[in-house]
Amino acid sequence: MDTTLYPQLDDVNAISTAFGDAGYICTPRIATVVYLAAALNKPILVEGPPGVGKTELAKTCAEVIAKPLVRLQCYEGLDEAKALYEWKYGKQLLYTQILKEQLGDILGGAKGLKESIQRLHSTGDVFYAKEFLEPRPLLRAMEQDDGAVLLIDEIDKADFEFESLLLEVLSDYQISIPEIGTIQARSKPMVFLTSNDTRDLSDALKRRCLHLHIPFPSIELESRIVTARVPELESQLSDQLVRFVHAIRELDLKKSPAISETLDWARSLVLLHANQLDSGLVHDTLNVLLKYEEDIVEAEGQLGKLLKIADGL
Amino acid sequence: MTPAAGSSQLLAFIKFLRGKDVPVSPADTLDAVHAAGLLGYEDRTTLRDGLAAVLAKSTFEKSAYLEAFDLFFAPQYPDTKTPAGEENRDDASESSQNNPQDNSSTNTDSEQSLEDLLQNPSAENDPTLAGLMNSGLMNALRSDDEGTLAMAIEAAAEAAKVDEIRLFTQRGQFTRKLLDALGETALRDAAIEFEKTQPRAFEEIQRLRESLRHRARDRVERAYLVHAAGDTEDFLDEALAEVRLANISPHQMARMRKLMDRMARKLASRHGRRRRKKRRGQLNVPMTLRASVATDGIPFNTHWRQIQRKKPQVMAICDVSGSVAAYAKFLLMFLYALQDVLPRTRSFAFSSSLGEVTNWFSEFPVEEAVSRVNRVYGGATDYARALSDFNDLALQDINKATTVIILGDARNNNSDPRLDLLAEIKAKCKRLIWLNPESRLAWGTGDSAMLPVTQHCHLASECNNLRQLERIIDTLLSAMHGN
Repeated sequence: MDTTLYPQLDDVNAISTAFGDAGYICTPRIATVVYLAAALNKPILVEGPPGVGKTELAKTCAEVIAKPLVRLQCYEGLDEAKALYEWKYGKQLLYTQILKEQLGDILGGAKGLKESIQRLHSTGDVFYAKEFLEPRPLLRAMEQDDGAVLLIDEIDKADFEFESLLLEVLSDYQISIPEIGTIQARSKPMVFLTSNDTRDLSDALKRRCLHLHIPFPSIELESRIVTARVPELESQLSDQLVRFVHAIRELDLKKSPAISETLDWARSLVLLHANQLDSGLVHDTLNVLLKYEEDIVEAEGQLGKLLKIADGL
Repeated sequence: MTPAAGSSQLLAFIKFLRGKDVPVSPADTLDAVHAAGLLGYEDRTTLRDGLAAVLAKSTFEKSAYLEAFDLFFAPQYPDTKTPAGEENRDDASESSQNNPQDNSSTNTDSEQSLEDLLQNPSAENDPTLAGLMNSGLMNALRSDDEGTLAMAIEAAAEAAKVDEIRLFTQRGQFTRKLLDALGETALRDAAIEFEKTQPRAFEEIQRLRESLRHRARDRVERAYLVHAAGDTEDFLDEALAEVRLANISPHQMARMRKLMDRMARKLASRHGRRRRKKRRGQLNVPMTLRASVATDGIPFNTHWRQIQRKKPQVMAICDVSGSVAAYAKFLLMFLYALQDVLPRTRSFAFSSSLGEVTNWFSEFPVEEAVSRVNRVYGGATDYARALSDFNDLALQDINKATTVIILGDARNNNSDPRLDLLAEIKAKCKRLIWLNPESRLAWGTGDSAMLPVTQHCHLASECNNLRQLERIIDTLLSAMHGN
């Protein structure tokens, strides 16, 4: 257990407070999982609908423990050359060309083929040394001297094979490079994987992680989040806004607004110097909250009802 | 609860979870023990959330986990187990220490309460009372200490080997054993003694006995749920998978459906995603250059970016006519489950005319969909018509990645089944499989056209229970990916 590395994370309540101070209001469940991850040295697999603060959790964690954040954005076709390491093949090629002339010096005076080969062997694998290695995010995270936060974002977008590639990193915090050997992490990073649930992840990957599902927040929690993130917003308007968003999530929409959209909307209202939600204002700014034309039409049809709920009636 | 007692409880809980279809590996178990050690057993919610992160790895598992947790770590005595109750308990035990008569005697008449009797120094002269006073159980009951009592019950449960319970009917017997191991006999003796002489103490002691019996019974029932119910379920599942589909009675439907869902899920996770690198498409420049270092910069070995996604397609045709009605119900249910997990499955049903039912399966819940299919397509069999309908409807969509499964008995009421149509399908698809619920011995008897049918299929097989069905679909899917 490496509690010395992340002393900020060795108590559930302290985590809640520290994350809250950093502007991330987390539920006891989230705090518990972060605590366990630090104590058990396990990665956290964060799942949930888009915009509930999965990526933000990792960023805040980096901020709280004051360590660098290494981020790997996943996409279809991501491979080891982009995620783990890459040989600097250009440099390798260039060096072989340049050093061709040096061969004469090394081999000078060698008698016969056998002796020449022997001499070449004695020089070692110079072109597959660490100097020719280009670290990609995963290797970079392993090479941090005193801890880091590794964020593997949207792992569900990567290919199935890529998950298998991650297993060694996630369970043993090491990377095997055939030409060099195994590189052990200098210090174990806090690892966050996020997934939008677009596909099932493999059991092998899930088994190596702690599982955290972040759902849409409750009204009370979302109010606290809005207050923490957009303190300029008047509290009365903020309550109204959160109730409105919750009512809108009840509708049958193509994409329900997430916390990030709530915050965007709150910021827009601050910019507009609004102090009261009314139908005109909502009508003009609804496109901040909803991203599809059909959703906007649907919501506008029920605007009166939604505003009533927002007013707490 | 001490850590040791806690971890044995935790292991029992994990066994319980496995019975609830949540796969927990030994490594997960270790993590769970660590996590519980770190979080402690005091705060139920923290423990629940923490263990959830370790033990439940998907939304499905999470809901099963939460249900199991509530069942297993049930706050049976909420006033003392919930965190809010914690304080109450402290208060109560404090006050009872300060003033032992506080919570037992409200009216002080001539009749002595149990507490008075036990406090009375002359009690030592009475052998029954002395025995009662010295029993740890009585102390635990009197001190109102939930922890001690729970430990005592746990120890007694171990002594009485309560965890060996296997049948629901053994509950009474094990409860008695548990109570005996707890030393409840002392209470009973006292009750007999007091019945005539001390009505008030008698009542109190009866109440204690009653609450004790409740706890013992709860403990035994939990042991049954954890140690036996799972085995029984497994046994029933096992048995059901072997039973001929036609013999399954309506009350087993729910279990059957669960079994089919699980089977379809298993098949899908084993075969759902397979991809293969293909030697064309966009050049993978870094990989090619990297490989070229070995050949002095000449790109001798090329690497390609494109990854081919293999999309297996299944078309299933199900006979729902009277002769196979009993099977058809289950085959349709299985198709329903399969379509749920393998999205590129198209389902068809026929007896005389044939139609596609894919949409019904995706729109309606299973019972509704199956009964709709039976209502619309049920009737007398006509393979010739059905096959020609199928060819009109779907032949153009069949290609070398398609597997066609026909479920039917090949009994065509002595008319020509038009096997040339079948040959046409076979020529276009990757595999044509005929599953017949009849035993192989019956093939070709009476009006069965099964023997000529076998010649037009890649595989013709007998299939009348769930186990056979699973095995066939499994080989089929592997073959589908293999080449």
